[in-house]
Order: sequence, then structure tokens, then C-alpha cells
Amino acid sequence: MKILVADDSRVMRQIVIRTLRQAGYAGHDIVEAENGKQALDLVHSESPDLVLSDWNMPEMNGIDLLAALRSTGSTVPFGFVTSEGSPDMRARASAGGALFLIAKPFTPEAFDEALAPVLKG
Amino acid sequence: MSTAVEPALTDLQTVVDDVWTSFLGGDEPLIPGAPGDTEVGWSASVTVTGAWEGMISVELPAAMAEEVCRRMLGVEETQDEDVADAVGELVNMIGGNVKSLMPGPSVLSLPVVAAGRVARSSDTTEVCRLDAWWAGSPLVVCVHLHGGHQH
Repeated sequence: MKILVADDSRVMRQIVIRTLRQAGYAGHDIVEAENGKQALDLVHSESPDLVLSDWNMPEMNGIDLLAALRSTGSTVPFGFVTSEGSPDMRARASAGGALFLIAKPFTPEAFDEALAPVLKG
Repeated sequence: MSTAVEPALTDLQTVVDDVWTSFLGGDEPLIPGAPGDTEVGWSASVTVTGAWEGMISVELPAAMAEEVCRRMLGVEETQDEDVADAVGELVNMIGGNVKSLMPGPSVLSLPVVAAGRVARSSDTTEVCRLDAWWAGSPLVVCVHLHGGHQH
């Protein structure tokens, strides 16, 4: 399987990738994007099986990325990994079509709980 | 219209503790304490605008910022670009969680990171300050309100 990790922070992308391994998801192909615009292009060129996206990014933020994906017919499973985990943000994520929202800081257990239905289901 | 409420120190401490425990290893706990003589090597801030308006900042010594970077990235050698990224991500996580505790809706900015002390608008008032120690060095996390301290 292929997972696209979108975050403007290289440090956070590395933490997400490390946490994927710790959560038992080693061995998947990882594609990295620095912002929503780049992620949008990579979804179309790389056809990932899952997108893990930050919310707050330059160029194009995560919720606009999700809207752009859905408006172009992409149904790729999509989840947020963001520092903003308020009920309002979770409701906006869900209304936009996100499967889950993992709040930073996170644990491998939180990753497994969110990803298992998508990658093991 | 924005609301001039402020996070409790205990809430800010919980948020910062969660970030430290999750990403910087529990073997070296963050210890709240008296203000230290912080030599500000790096600092970073995020602003929140909307129903609640404020700024969250972090100031830490250079050696601590480099250690934060090493632990977050899992590397031995650090470069300034990565240290700035790590410090920015620290304040992004702390600020995002503080935002979630405050009245919404509001918008979180991207982090601003500086070598040295980050500039702050004169139209802000410090309303919550956490002094803490990590690995024998002091750091400071502050919350400022825009437009002064109104009640």
C-alpha cells in the first residue's frame, strides 16, 4: 500500500512516518508532500491508498486539499493529523469527507486506532 | 467580537507536558519551576484570530532547541533549518491545543520562528506564563492576548 504524508514540517513528516512504523504499519510505500497543492498533484500522479494530511499548511491547507480532491472525483481515503483537535475542527473534517482526525501530539496507539479500519479492514 | 478569556496555567502545563511526553521522550521529564535565566537561542510563536485572539510563544536556549530537534527527527547532527522547523512545530502543537481550549471559531496561523527572541506587537499583554526546566535548562511558554488584558 502507498501512504501520502502531507505536512509543511519535515520534522513532523518524519515523526508521522516513524509513528506509522511504531503502530505496525512498516513496509508501506511513503510519499511526502510539503503542502496541499503538492499533495493534490501527487494524489493524481501516485494514486496513494491513504492520505494523512496536516490542516494548516502554506499554498493550500488540508481542508481545501480535501475539497479539491473530492471535487475532482477522487475518493482516496483521507485523514487529518493536526494540532487542532477541537470538536469544531473534527466536525469540519468529517463534513468534508475525512475518515478521522488524529490530534498532535499523538501516540502509535492513536494511529493504529484510526488507520486499522482503512489499512487492515 | 473576540472574547478576552485566558487559559489556566494548569491547562497550559498539561498541553506542554503532553507534547514533551509524546515526542521528546518521558525519560527526561519537563519540570515546572522558577523562572530561569533563559538565554533565548530560539523562539517561535503562533497567533490565533477569531472569537479568541491571542499569541502563544516558546523561548528556549540554543542547546535545548538542538536537542529537541535531534529527538524529534531521530538524528545526531542538526542543521539550523531543521532546528527552526522543530521549534516551529513545538509552538504549532502547543498553540493548536491552546486554541482548542478557547472559544471558537478561530484560525491558527503558521508558526513564526526566530533565532533569538521573536518580535511581539506592543498591543499584547502576557496573561499566562509557564516556566519550566528540561535537562537542566529553562524554557518559557507564554500566552498573550491582543488588545490588552480586558475583563
